[in-house]
Amino acid sequence: MLEASGMMVFYENMLALNNISMNCESDQIVGVFGANSAGKSTLMYALSGIILDIKKKELMAGGERITVAGDVLFDGKALTGVKPSKRAKMGIVLCPERRRIFKESTVLENLKIGGYLASPAKARDTLEFVFSVFPVLDKLKKRIGGFLSGGEQQMLAIGRALMAQPKILLLDEPLLGLSPLMQAMLIRSTRDIRDQKKISIIITEQYARPVLPIVDYAYVLENGSAVLEGTRNDLMDNPDVRAAYFGI
Amino acid sequence: MNVTTEQMRRERIDRGIKVRSDGLYALMSWRELSYLMTPRTILIVGMLCLPLLMPGAYWQRVMSIVCIYAFLAVGFDFLAHYVGLVSLGGAFFIGVGGYFSAILNTTFGLPPLVAIPMATIAGAVLSTILLLPCLPLRGVYFAIVTLMYPLFAARLIEAFDMLGGTDGIMGLDSFPNPMLEQYFIIGMLLMMLFAMRRLVNTDLGLVFRAVKDNDQAVRASAMNVTFYKALAVFIGSLMGCLAGACLAHIYMWSGISQFALDFSILPIAATVIGGSGTLVGPLIGCLILVPASELLRDFGTLRIAFYSLILVGFIVFRSDGIMSWGQRKYEQFERWKKI
Repeated sequence: MLEASGMMVFYENMLALNNISMNCESDQIVGVFGANSAGKSTLMYALSGIILDIKKKELMAGGERITVAGDVLFDGKALTGVKPSKRAKMGIVLCPERRRIFKESTVLENLKIGGYLASPAKARDTLEFVFSVFPVLDKLKKRIGGFLSGGEQQMLAIGRALMAQPKILLLDEPLLGLSPLMQAMLIRSTRDIRDQKKISIIITEQYARPVLPIVDYAYVLENGSAVLEGTRNDLMDNPDVRAAYFGI
Repeated sequence: MNVTTEQMRRERIDRGIKVRSDGLYALMSWRELSYLMTPRTILIVGMLCLPLLMPGAYWQRVMSIVCIYAFLAVGFDFLAHYVGLVSLGGAFFIGVGGYFSAILNTTFGLPPLVAIPMATIAGAVLSTILLLPCLPLRGVYFAIVTLMYPLFAARLIEAFDMLGGTDGIMGLDSFPNPMLEQYFIIGMLLMMLFAMRRLVNTDLGLVFRAVKDNDQAVRASAMNVTFYKALAVFIGSLMGCLAGACLAHIYMWSGISQFALDFSILPIAATVIGGSGTLVGPLIGCLILVPASELLRDFGTLRIAFYSLILVGFIVFRSDGIMSWGQRKYEQFERWKKI
């Protein structure tokens, strides 16, 4: 469904992504694991096209020069140079790192903004779906986004991304700074979303243990390169991965 | 699968001489020394030659005005990009400095070269005290409040008919001779400029930049944010008041038109054009903008339209400013490289 080949991203002369090729089939959950600065977020930006936006801004401000190379294919269509907004319309929706919810809007408004592009009927359906997956949000409808707890904000961010009717959902570190209980809950919801909505999900995380049970296929990034890849069981059995990313 | 095309990317690398002259080793070779000295020498010598190169008294006067604006622009750049206080109150500093110098000169009979430094310091102290209540404000709110200060001061003077009212204070002594005027202002400007460049790299400058970045973290490090902001405003207004005091003696007059919006807006435009956060950039911006606006005077009111066009062009196409661009060209080279 979403296929990247030979992705290279340079921040000035620093290589952030080194020849990454990855593939996400439909209805799959693909995990991307790696430490800080491994290139997870850059990969997400590259897939969702946000990198083009950052590149333009840096160019305008005379900052560092970002070079993006490689191909991204979505349903067989090449995405090179396609704007992030267009990609979102096509169904590649990013739920960004550190949530980035609209802090001054209420929960309901946040969700509505996410569903701006969808038809009203679809938006209504998805809203109901979001509330069924995250019942907490239903209770907090009128609450201002900035006053939510970290976990609630994350749910809201995922909900907002869902409202944009994704075909493939990119979750960038959804478990950042959450309690183990909340992490387990979010992971369960992620699986539910995949099962019920039939969408593909790419999820990045530093610590693989909570995420690995639900992924079908996973990549391990290190300093911008994909050092390992495999199905869940392949990775589970790999002693290096067990040591590095599970702490077993 | 599809074919991955061979692609090229443009690489940006520091020039060897730049890297070599970064450290103390620069002192050991004339080439590295001259690499470091050339831009600074061009600036200093260029500025010092300016009055001699100008065709007549009119253009010499324009150069003085350039320097007046440059003071404000450097001060604005310092406050906005090193302390995070976007001050639109340049005119307020000019007015305060001007009036102080006028009073010292006319009432107490001090000669200009004594009145100006005294007015600078007194004006900066007064400006800082008056701005003290607004220091907790940040961003656009500080900008709005500081924008109001000059308007407020002008209306106060007008309404209460104090300090000469709408006529202003007349009969100030001018500088002893035009060349002294020019070189006094240019000398002070260069001194201030290099002092500022040094200041922002000291520990104090570090604190200033930290205040800009995250004032909560600074507060958490047991530093008094308001004190440092006040200090920064004092330094910034020092430049503005010096400019104002000089201006009053150039025109031999101090009045409410010194609180005009021009003094607040033009320095900002100059900072944008010259390159924000470089300190020298604003000076270069003034060197372009002020003479340009003089040259465009023939077009009458159309002047503003041309002026805006230049500004919009710069913001859209070169928003990093001349100085940042030039610095990059000077320090780095580019080459195409296969990925």
